Amino acid sequence: MVTPIHLVSVALGTAFLLGFTKDRNWKISGGLVLLALLLMNLISGSWTYALFFGDQVPVQVFTAGFKPPFSINLQMGRFEAAITLMINFAGLLGAIYLFDRLKKAGRYAFMVYMVFILGLNVAVMTRDLFNLFVFMEITTIATAGLIFLVQTGKAAAAGLKYMIATSIISGVLLIGIIFAYSLVSTLNLDGIIDGGLPLIKGGAMVVFLILIALLLESKPFPANGWGLDVYESAHPGIGAMLSVATGPMIAYVIFKVLPISGGAWNHLIAITGIITFVGSNFLAIKQHNTQRLLGYSSVAQAGILLIAIGLQKELGHTFIYVAAGLLMTNYFAKAGLFWLSGLIKGESLQDWTQLKGRPVLLFLFGLFVFSLAGFPPSPAFFAKWELIMQLASHGGYVWMVFILIGSFFELIYLTRWFGQVIGSKEKSSAQPDLATHRLVPVGIMGVGLLGTMVFFLHHYAPDLAIDFIPIIFIAALFILDFLPAFLKNTVTILAMGWYLLQHISDVQNDTVRLIFFLIFLAGGAISLLAGFSYKGKRIGYYPFVAMTFVGLTGLVTATTTLGFFLSWELMALGSYLLISRGKNAQKTSWIYILFSVGGAYLLLMGFGVSFAVTGDGLLSSLGIAARALPAVGILLTIGFLSKIAAMGLHIWLPGAYAEAEDDATPFIAGIMMNAGIFGLILSLSIIAGHPFTWWLGWLGVITAVGGNILAAFQEDAKKLIAYSSIGIMGYILFALSMNIQMAWMAALYYVVLHFLYKTILFLAVGGVIFRTKTREMYQMGGLIKKMPLSFISVLIGIIALAGIPPLAGFGGKWLFYNAVVMNGWYLQGALVFFSGVVAFLYCFKLISAIFLGQAKDRYRHIKEAPVWYILPQYLLIIGLLIFSVLPELVLQPVAHALRSMPGEGIQWDGHFAQTSFGYWNAFIVMTVIAIMFVILLAWLILNSRKAQKVKQFDMVFAGETPFTPETSHVAYNIYAPFNKALGFLVVPVTTWFWHATASVTDASANHLRKWYNGNGQTYALQMVIYIVMFYLIIRGGF
Amino acid sequence: MNFFSVQGISLTIGFILILIGLWGILTQRNLIRIIIGFTIFNNGVNLIIVALAYMKGRTAPIIDQVVTRTDAVDKVADPIPQALVLTAIVIGVGVTAVMLSYTLRMYRAKHSLEINVFTESKW
Amino acid sequence: MSFDWLIKIGYVLLGLFIVLNYGLLQYGVIRRISARIGKRIGVKVYQPYIDLIKNYSFRSQITHGVMFYLGPVFRLSGGVGVFLFMPLIFGSEHFSNYSFSGDLILILYFLFFGMLGMALGAGEGGHPYSFIGISRGLSQFTTIELPFTLAVISLAIQYHTFSITDIVAAQQGGIMHWTLMTNPLATAAAMLSFLGMMGNSPFNVVIAPQENPIGPPTEYHSTFLAVLQTNRAILGPVEAILMVNLFFGGATNWVSLIIKSFLVFFWPVFVGIVFPRFRVDQSIPWFLKLPFVLGILAIFLI
Repeated sequence: MVTPIHLVSVALGTAFLLGFTKDRNWKISGGLVLLALLLMNLISGSWTYALFFGDQVPVQVFTAGFKPPFSINLQMGRFEAAITLMINFAGLLGAIYLFDRLKKAGRYAFMVYMVFILGLNVAVMTRDLFNLFVFMEITTIATAGLIFLVQTGKAAAAGLKYMIATSIISGVLLIGIIFAYSLVSTLNLDGIIDGGLPLIKGGAMVVFLILIALLLESKPFPANGWGLDVYESAHPGIGAMLSVATGPMIAYVIFKVLPISGGAWNHLIAITGIITFVGSNFLAIKQHNTQRLLGYSSVAQAGILLIAIGLQKELGHTFIYVAAGLLMTNYFAKAGLFWLSGLIKGESLQDWTQLKGRPVLLFLFGLFVFSLAGFPPSPAFFAKWELIMQLASHGGYVWMVFILIGSFFELIYLTRWFGQVIGSKEKSSAQPDLATHRLVPVGIMGVGLLGTMVFFLHHYAPDLAIDFIPIIFIAALFILDFLPAFLKNTVTILAMGWYLLQHISDVQNDTVRLIFFLIFLAGGAISLLAGFSYKGKRIGYYPFVAMTFVGLTGLVTATTTLGFFLSWELMALGSYLLISRGKNAQKTSWIYILFSVGGAYLLLMGFGVSFAVTGDGLLSSLGIAARALPAVGILLTIGFLSKIAAMGLHIWLPGAYAEAEDDATPFIAGIMMNAGIFGLILSLSIIAGHPFTWWLGWLGVITAVGGNILAAFQEDAKKLIAYSSIGIMGYILFALSMNIQMAWMAALYYVVLHFLYKTILFLAVGGVIFRTKTREMYQMGGLIKKMPLSFISVLIGIIALAGIPPLAGFGGKWLFYNAVVMNGWYLQGALVFFSGVVAFLYCFKLISAIFLGQAKDRYRHIKEAPVWYILPQYLLIIGLLIFSVLPELVLQPVAHALRSMPGEGIQWDGHFAQTSFGYWNAFIVMTVIAIMFVILLAWLILNSRKAQKVKQFDMVFAGETPFTPETSHVAYNIYAPFNKALGFLVVPVTTWFWHATASVTDASANHLRKWYNGNGQTYALQMVIYIVMFYLIIRGGF
Repeated sequence: MNFFSVQGISLTIGFILILIGLWGILTQRNLIRIIIGFTIFNNGVNLIIVALAYMKGRTAPIIDQVVTRTDAVDKVADPIPQALVLTAIVIGVGVTAVMLSYTLRMYRAKHSLEINVFTESKW
Repeated sequence: MSFDWLIKIGYVLLGLFIVLNYGLLQYGVIRRISARIGKRIGVKVYQPYIDLIKNYSFRSQITHGVMFYLGPVFRLSGGVGVFLFMPLIFGSEHFSNYSFSGDLILILYFLFFGMLGMALGAGEGGHPYSFIGISRGLSQFTTIELPFTLAVISLAIQYHTFSITDIVAAQQGGIMHWTLMTNPLATAAAMLSFLGMMGNSPFNVVIAPQENPIGPPTEYHSTFLAVLQTNRAILGPVEAILMVNLFFGGATNWVSLIIKSFLVFFWPVFVGIVFPRFRVDQSIPWFLKLPFVLGILAIFLI
């Protein structure tokens, strides 16, 4: 092995050598630098490899031939190797990225850059406190030099602020170090640690001085304005280095110096970390300047890393994964984003629309953003998971909550940014600067991030217990996205079919899982058929479709909480990306992801509490955990409620469904929605009978009534069906809240039913919209003659929805009535039935406004919906009809699966279903009605065989014909009287509430960020106050 | 430690210098004055380092005819802080130089040395 | 080979025939009674027969399309279907129709079958009045059903069954066993709902000629109108029979069935003659007041 001292010698030597070059020989100086950095990478890399994968032991390098305390010693252990590798790797790529800048600035710039990297390396490796000080100072001065690369007054001012802040820090640090020396007579870190500073008189003060200085160096909120200004003003290449090279260095320095406090400071560090994490992410919400935003995010990431460092004892052996996960994610993603920001012309987030139409760059952008936001399978996802689990098992629920709050703020701005880029209608006219030497580092960081993902997935494979083939499939779709859409559609459908056949045996014994498995895969494959109607490549559609379905499938097959959660997040991300493809989906998709992830965080807490109780991450232990702590079930339930859009948490749904692409809505609404129900089944089965479920039942009622009434007032066809979904989810929630077999049977019956008719309806309406290009129903009308097949679909859909015999919907009502009286929830039940009658309003509106009434001139020559829209509808209709005639095909296995639940079931005698209350024979009902219908039809035909068809306007119209179809097509706001009577039930309090919450958050973030007033002196004062306050607080008072 | 010993007085002066420096950094509006504040602050820190290394009756840790290799341990003061303070002074000079060069750049940009003028990046 | 099913169908058709004639006559009687109250002479009792025959024999017939054509079929299927699933005479194997295929809930929901079909058929007619009538009817129906639902739940609590036959059976043995006596609150709630279900004044803004020239059936004429009239003659009595079965002890023979159902049927007529018409936004809240409260009391006090 090459001794690590050569990390120093190579860097230092190169810096000296550069003094002999000439500015015009930039090839030589630049080449030297790159060569040196490459060498340093090799050294760090070989050590990293040897220490982690070989049998190399950590080494100490002594300088000047003495052993400490008489000399400075450097250490090369696993941490040092890995972190110097990170630094040097970023250094190399950063040098490539900055090459033309450095070249322009001359050989001194190269020199400063080398010194910068040198300082970082030594600060990481050194075990001597004073040496640490020196090299941190060297790094600081070099950084200040690099800030000079941008020749603006703004950058100069930021540089000065930086110098002011770091000088104060270094003064404090130096005093601390010298007093430490005077107390324990050594500068060697290990010596100081062994010296037991906290036990010596005055030692606590020394510890305070040293650690507060290092802490300030990590830019803790709120004494970090200087850092943010530098991030904003420096060249993005330098910002990247500050975030991904200096950041890890400081974090590691804190980590290695922390033991001098004898453990007393661990929690303090973690607390400052959480304050920084939450505070910075909160203020970042209002940022519009890219680099400043990234700065806030970097500071926040440093904060969460400090949490891990401070809580290393609690984290135990998982510490390294938590720390690595957080560090690596920030490393790759932040460098990537900073470097990308250098390609973009302009400073505002809005300028990133320049990336539009550049799939690879957009992919990288999305990859970085969503990794930072902690979506799977990013390392941060696993790190946060592990962090939450370990915190929970140590009773750190408050920590857990704050970490999730901070993460949520982070999510707010990251997804809004992404949404702006994807969804904004304006595209910045400027062209991004796509120089190869700038693109390559970004790409490498992307590849690195993906590689880390693979590593973490591999590491957590036993805990995940999931099938990796689907994940590989997603990756393959990303790579093959250049293929035409029909090919990708075919492949996706075939893959889903194949997976269904392969894995159906896994869930065969669990009827509930089997139902969802079939809905997700078979239903999904059918609904995807509509995609054949679209031409072109549809880049960025199928990977997300696959992501959604892989997530859904994973939910069903998961056996561990981690596997479940990963699938859940994958589904949320995939569906979010799908929705955000819609033309006007910017805002709605954003709200969708916020609610999705908000719910997911509650799940995370629930799983955490469960882990704390049982100590294992199995889904099957949730029940045990919930018996000890019902909070498990309650947290999970509330989390799932956001997915099924229970009233209060529903505002994301109508927009999201309406704005998604027309062939995406069916499976988002008809299929993906069931994920929430699957979750509820999981969570409610473990807290069955808890008093909480009584409230839940009422929530179901409110959801059903509210959703259905709101649906009746919609003019947008997709929104109407979307609100209707909320209503149906209310029924199901209501049913699941009852702890009796009949109710759960009704719920599962509704799951199947809702999947069938909702997919049919959305496909049919999607097909219509495909032709009419409008979603406003009152603009359509009379389409029955042009689109008879779509009409029949909608007719069958609404009959099933309304619960009218003989179609399957009636079975749902029948089961419901039985469940309600068995459980004794009479009033609630009656209100749910009331909502069922309200459903007629929108059912009629949907079908009549589109298909009946007066045809408009502009649709005179419209054609039937594309065959690929019609085909899946009729496949599903066949299913619906079978289900209507033979409901026992579903109900009997479901009853068997639910047999352990309290309450009676259905007695079957052939097709005859009986409970102690009533009876129902779907087969006979269908037969009787069909025969009767045919006879009566024959009777009418017999009597009116001479009937002649008349034209559209030939009707009883006061002796006239209508002048235009618009004047006699009654479709707009037709339930105005109903609104007048009962509209007070649906005043949008929820929307008001969330709007108010959002405005308050927004306004306070905007107000609080004024704390950073841009004045270096104020920043200095803030630091001094921070130090004093910190001291007073740890000394326990004023 | 005797407060009125050489060491005590030096330490006190050192801390007073630090406070004066800090006062200057936090109250002066002129950039040059702020930088002067920093040099005073640094000097205070350096004085403290030296003061801590002070041992009564001992001489500078330089080995020559007066202080030979053999009796150095008994005759000289602690050499390490002395070495440290040299480094610290050098660094201080570097920092001051960088600050001054920033000031120069800032003055060229806005023709002002008032610190509260330079708040372009904020919030 | 058994011909039981053929005999069954024979009896069902017989029942249907009786009900149809009863319904037509009943409408005639009621029109006459209403006329007399209004100090008019009124039509002949057999006038509905004349109307029906006249409409079936019109020569000119026009249609607006398939759904328009199917509307009356749906409507009549709805009426006949409710009849088919309704047990008529308690204790009579022959006049229990096809009530073995479903219970009270089936009837409740099958009532909508005709409504929906009619609404769609009228919708294809494209007449604005049809839409206005339908939107009014549907809006009004939401709260009309609510007290009735509560009453049905109350009955289910009381008798522990949804089977109409069983409910009737439980009421045998004299007037004191009728639901009217044993559960007056539910009866009251249901009877108030019944006012709305029958669509007489004050709840007839849906089709009232003065407000909305005959509403949904505006475009229907000749045979189509005849089919609708046939349905009305069947559905009206059948709904009254439902009330009789649920609340007034059912009937063990045709005579008592006809008397009871006539009296029940007369109740909304009586109210309609006395009270003026509600607008939709008035009638919707009306059902949420007294009827709803009675319904709630019925489920909690039973």
